Amino acid sequence: MSYVVKRPSASSQWYLPAIFSGMGLTFKKMLRNLFVGDKMQTLNYPEEKYEYGPRFKGNHVLTVKKDGSVRCTACMLCATNCPAQCIKITAAEHNDPSVEKYPISYEIDILRCVFCGFCEEACPVDAIRMGPEWQSPALNGGTFNYDIQHLAYRGNLKGGIQSRVDDQERHKAGI
Amino acid sequence: MPKCTINGKSIEVKPGTTIIQAFKEAGEEIAHYCWHPALSVAGVCRLCMVQIEGQPKLQIACNTVVADNMVITNKSEPVKDAVRWGMDFHLINHPLDCPICDQAGECGLQEQYMRYGQYDPEMAEPKQKKHKVIDLGPTVVLDSERCILCSRCVRFTEEVTKTNELGIFNRGDRSEIGTFHNKPLNNNYSYNTIDICPVGALTSKDFRFRQRVWYLKEARSICTGCSTGCNVNVYFNEEGTWRVKPVQNDKVNGYWMCDKGRDVYKFTNLPVRLTSGKTGSKDNWNLLEAGALAKDVGATIRAAARSGADKIALVITGQYSNEDYDALFQFFSVGLGVQNIYHWINNPEDMNGFDGLLFRGDRNPNTKGLVARLEKYGVKTKWLDLEDKIKAHDLTHIVIAGPENHSVFPDLETKLRLFDQVPNVVWLSAGKSVAVDGLTAVTTQIPMKTFIEKDGTYTNYAGLEQKVKRGTTIVAGALTLEEAVHLMSGEELDMNMRPLPPKYLKTNFLVHKGGPL
Ligand code: SF4
Ligand code: SF4
Ligand code: SF4
Ligand code: SF4
Ligand code: FES
Repeated sequence: MSYVVKRPSASSQWYLPAIFSGMGLTFKKMLRNLFVGDKMQTLNYPEEKYEYGPRFKGNHVLTVKKDGSVRCTACMLCATNCPAQCIKITAAEHNDPSVEKYPISYEIDILRCVFCGFCEEACPVDAIRMGPEWQSPALNGGTFNYDIQHLAYRGNLKGGIQSRVDDQERHKAGI
Repeated sequence: MPKCTINGKSIEVKPGTTIIQAFKEAGEEIAHYCWHPALSVAGVCRLCMVQIEGQPKLQIACNTVVADNMVITNKSEPVKDAVRWGMDFHLINHPLDCPICDQAGECGLQEQYMRYGQYDPEMAEPKQKKHKVIDLGPTVVLDSERCILCSRCVRFTEEVTKTNELGIFNRGDRSEIGTFHNKPLNNNYSYNTIDICPVGALTSKDFRFRQRVWYLKEARSICTGCSTGCNVNVYFNEEGTWRVKPVQNDKVNGYWMCDKGRDVYKFTNLPVRLTSGKTGSKDNWNLLEAGALAKDVGATIRAAARSGADKIALVITGQYSNEDYDALFQFFSVGLGVQNIYHWINNPEDMNGFDGLLFRGDRNPNTKGLVARLEKYGVKTKWLDLEDKIKAHDLTHIVIAGPENHSVFPDLETKLRLFDQVPNVVWLSAGKSVAVDGLTAVTTQIPMKTFIEKDGTYTNYAGLEQKVKRGTTIVAGALTLEEAVHLMSGEELDMNMRPLPPKYLKTNFLVHKGGPL
């Protein structure tokens, strides 16, 4: 049978000084936060939000072409590379033969995503990027399956992000 | 018989054998695009270079006949160099749009580039633009930029189908494959051009963009589209089956299969399948487990047989395996003593049709096996007898081992109207059907497995027995005919009879393979 031996030393009986020094620190920070707010170490989330650098790998963005349609060619390399297998793409034939293949549906199950960035890495045409946005809350009935509408055209993207790769120039150069 | 040495292996070949055939016989790998074992030699891709001892220049293996005591290698540096820069030539005008190319993953260019290429391209000129997404006919789409002008497809339409739809037009780097005015590529073997195209220039309209090939697994099977029984690979994943491609079998189909057979995967997929047992009649169906239903209906039939086996009829189609038929005859003919056994022939007019290449008018995989069993059990009935018996209300029960592939049974609805006059109908079939759901007789529908979901033997038109292994399961609740009959006869099934072959269990390809992390 195991048992606990208590061996109270003489010094451990003097706990009050440690308590007072701890409370002192707490009150010092509290008063500083109340009167010198900008030195505060924490954020008043959700009123204030932390802005990560633009290279932070947060929620995905599907980039768009000049005409506003999604750049993605539905090659499924991102889905193949994704270790969480959370990308689901359905490809279809485009009416414009110079586009040929495009996704009629593109879904990322953001709750399964591990934000590894492999999808971004795999994409041959800079069609998927991971942006600085890092929150993915949703209200009751909200979905965590992001579709093209959300990935490419959600409100804060202001009509979609264009890739800097210029297709027309590439085509002229014969690539 | 000339003797030669291939990459150090010495073998003896038949006189007239080309070096590339000798390589295949020796089991040595050799790069090639334009040579195909079933087509004539073109010698245009220049990829099959070999070094022959004593000859100053490299030779192409596909058009050089083996002479006695030749010492041949394709492992030497000059050969690798020649193949590498041959590849560079092939890729001068190639668009390299692998990401949207259906061939990616099974492409000759990708394979040989990884094996021999891996150079920095030295071409500074802009690429020659050609036509893309050209509609060649009802089945094939052409992308001229990806074409390497190996001429396999042209030789196929010239030598195998003898329809000559395809040709090479223009000259030099403006050459393109094309069809003649108002003559689309439209024959019953057109999909084969897609299989033999070593690159992604020809793609299938049916399969285009529906899956990436690396998501698919393949299972060796036979085509159940007609009584030829071509050997095929069925490509499937967890969502269902997606396409079939022919596998070489010189005894049956050579290297090809017909376009009609390419559709056999379609009736195996969920949307057209009967997924659970059903009992009831028009507009009033109860869903039940297939196994439980088979037991119930088996009990009723056995009871009915005790009061007169001549009131029970059995109708069989040529769509099941020999094992299925054996079980069926064992139970009905031997066990219950049913004499009214009828062979449902779906297209009696062109039952003996043959197009001269592969496709036969008998669109059942196993008519021969069924006929052999009808003879063995001494069944000598005619379809008209059944019609008379039904009209005279002589029957109380009719059990129908119905078609797997409904699309080759044009007479399905007329026959169903006939069966509907029998008070109790037992319908065994893999496919769901509005016509069956509209039956007014007391009907039991039991879902069956398709050819890709069961082991079995099929006898083709020539009497050749071909064994087929289970590839995948699409409707887990369905039974094979054999299983259904076992349950009907009151036996129990050993549910672990056929475990899934381990090779299809998913492997984790992301496992780190040694070395420091
Ligand atoms: S970040 Fe990683 S886990 Fe998330 S979608 Fe991309 S590849 Fe998949
Ligand atoms: S890798 Fe890029 S182009 Fe390809 S499917 Fe993914 S996002 Fe689209
Ligand atoms: S033909 Fe082969 S190399 Fe060319 S785009 Fe298609 S997959 Fe890539
Ligand atoms: S289309 Fe394909 S098979 Fe025909 S010549 Fe071009 S590469 Fe060869
Ligand atoms: S295979 Fe020999 S030249 Fe093409």
